[in-house]
Formats: sequence, structure tokens, C-alpha cells
Amino acid sequence: MNAVWMGLAWLAGIYLLAVIEEWGASGRFRPTVPLLAGLAHLGRESLVPRRPDRLLFEAAPPLLLVAALLAAAVLPLAPGLIVVDLATGALFVNAALVYVAVALVMAGWGPDAAYAMVAGWRFLGQLVAYAMLIVMPLTAVAMRAASLSTTAIVASQAALPNALAQPLGFVLFALAAQATCFLPPFDAPVAPGELAGGVLGEYTGVRLAVVRLARLALVLTLATAVAVFYLGGWLGPVLPPAAWTATKALAVAAAMLVAGRFVPRLRGEHTLA
Amino acid sequence: MAVRLVAVALCGLAAVWFGIRVFRTRSMVRSALALLFAMAALGGLFLALEAEFLGVLQLMMMATEMAVMAIFMVMYMMDPGGLGQMEMTHQKRLARGAGALGGLGAAALAVGLALGGGWGPISAAAPSPAAQNHDLGIELMERSMMIFETAGVTILVAMVAATAVALGRRR
Repeated sequence: MNAVWMGLAWLAGIYLLAVIEEWGASGRFRPTVPLLAGLAHLGRESLVPRRPDRLLFEAAPPLLLVAALLAAAVLPLAPGLIVVDLATGALFVNAALVYVAVALVMAGWGPDAAYAMVAGWRFLGQLVAYAMLIVMPLTAVAMRAASLSTTAIVASQAALPNALAQPLGFVLFALAAQATCFLPPFDAPVAPGELAGGVLGEYTGVRLAVVRLARLALVLTLATAVAVFYLGGWLGPVLPPAAWTATKALAVAAAMLVAGRFVPRLRGEHTLA
Repeated sequence: MAVRLVAVALCGLAAVWFGIRVFRTRSMVRSALALLFAMAALGGLFLALEAEFLGVLQLMMMATEMAVMAIFMVMYMMDPGGLGQMEMTHQKRLARGAGALGGLGAAALAVGLALGGGWGPISAAAPSPAAQNHDLGIELMERSMMIFETAGVTILVAMVAATAVALGRRR
């Protein structure tokens, strides 16, 4: 039953994020656009490149979605409202997110296209650095809670949220989250205006719809992770616990979608200097 | 119990299948990804055997490691971008001999177990995952601390030394 509620909450959250993303991109608030765009994707032809590595090409979008949803499955929305309360939850979030890199390398490799391949390897090179930043701050969070369970981590922040107790970890984790969902300024792998769409360039129609859904799910998952690990999750006055988690997660997600627009893209040579 | 047995069997078969695929391909990237999924199947096997920490750690470490391995393979091998057709096997005669020996050993073990009455009594219940994590932490921080600290410092020295060598070459 929990899984059903969480699934519905996740769908609603993803839709809201899509509206916010569209709002930020076009400057106009149009709540029906994601629905229409999604339907339009389903109606369009889904092209397959001439000589694809078919298996990897087809498997990459679902794997991206599965990685995001697996990580989401161990994040609590409220006490008891969680799909699986793993004792090793905090580590599992990272384990699931590593498969984002695998999915994007597969997506870059699959279509047998130069831009996509360059973008796939680029993302891997970037994520090798930032994957460490996802897991290392979490060790400090786990030490404060004396547990790897995500619910215990939220409970440990009753006196003071981790964002205030461990500000450095909070900043590093937020940056790594931004890089993991390849949002600007870490969007070199998809690089609009430079690599012709990068890893996503060869995906069209229903496959592109899955990729875009997966990316929004990933943003929401990482925003919820920030809320759970650093902003005290469901803890807060007056409102019901689930509303607090949802509010915090959506605020973080909106910040992630908007903040990168004001920073120049981080290029490869910046990180290699 | 039956569900767990099926899960263990499926994960084991998947690990063997992906292990075979590592060598039955001519694409370096496919080979690396097949190895990754073989390792991930082993992670699933640990999870099915109620070793939660080990399973999660296996899933996490192997994905990172295999991805890093793939990028270095493509960077340094004579196969630009992993696009070429490349033979994935080598030292075939030695490999065949080792494979035959391993197969014989496994068969002997199976026969021995069948004659000798199996692995012995099965423990009734595994400790809870939280208890496993706790025990593992105590083990790492008490009895095995010296071993892990020595290994950690050695790896750190190697990393610093490798970086120093790379920087020296560039100038």
C-alpha cells in the first residue's frame, strides 16, 4: 500500500517539477504544457539510428528511470511512509545513483553516433569525481545518526538539521546532486548548443519521453535526498510530516532547476587545470 | 524459503551468463558492461542471502569500478573509443587448462558434498540487517582496525605518488 501512495506522490511531484522547469524555460506559467508535450512525444516517430548497439540503446532509458526510482524507494516521506526501510538505506541511495552513470554511458554508446559517445564518456569522467561527493558527506550524516537507515537519519535531526550541523557536507552534497542529474552548470554531457544534445541527441519519440521522465524523477529523487539527509525530512511544526518532506523536496528541486541558469557551464578544461 | 532459493538461483545464473558474455563479444564497452552486470548479479545474490550491507556495497562499488575500468580501457587500449572489433580472449591453451581444472574441482566438491551430507546444519535465522551493520562496524573499529588502516594508508600513499608522478611528467 505504501508503494502505491509513494508512487502517486512521486508522479504528482514529477508533474509539478515539469511545470516548474517549463516555467523557468519559457517564463510563462502553463500547467498543461508537460501533459501536452508528453502526449506529443508519444505521437511522434521514435527513430532508431542506422547501426545502433541495439541492446544498450534500448536498455539505457529504462535503466535511468529504474536507478532514480530505486534510490527513491529508500527515502521516507513521513514516519512509516517509505517503500523499503533498508538498514543500509543511505548507502543504497548511492548504490542506485551510480547506475545513472552506467545508463548514460550506455545511452552514449548505443546509437553509434560521435556526439552521443563523446557526451557519454564526458559524463562518466565527470561523475567519477562527483559520485565520491555523494557518498562521503553521507558518512558524516550516518555518524551523527549512528545508523545508515534513512528514517533514523531524519530522526537524528530533531534538535538541529544537518544543514546547520554540517554546512560543508550540505554544500558538497548539493553540488554533487546537481552534477549527478547533469543540470547546469554541470550539463556538459548533454551540452545544449555544443554537442547537439549529447547523450540525448539520438533519442526521439517515446524513448525521449522515457528519458525526460527519468531525468525529472532523478531531480526529484536527489532533491528528496537533500531534504531527508540535510533539511530534517518530515520534521517541522504545524503541517503534517509528509507535507514537510514534500515542501522541502520541491523547494530544493526548484532551486536545482533554476540556480544553474545563472552560472556558466563547467567545461572539461576547468576541472583538469 | 522457496522464494529465496529461486532468487539465489536466478542471480547465480545471471552472474554466470553475464560472465560468459564478457568474453563472447568483440566490443570493449559491451565486455565491460557485461562484467558490471555479472558483478551486480552477485550483489543481488548477497541481498537474497540476507547479507544486506555486502549486497549494497557490491552493487555500489562494482558499478563505479567497472565504469572507471571502461573509461581507462577505452583510453589506453589500441581500440579507439572502443569502436573496433577486438578479441576478448587470450592465452587460450592456459585458459582451457585452468577452466578444465576448475570444472573438475567444482564437480569433485559437488560429489563430495552429496556423499558427505551437504554443508552441515543451516542456521535458523540471520541477524537483522541493522545488527549486521553494527557488528561489522565494531569488527572494523576493533579487531581488524590495524589491517584496514594499513591498507587505507597504503592506498592513499599510492594515490598521492601517482598524482605526483603525473604532474612531474606534464612539466
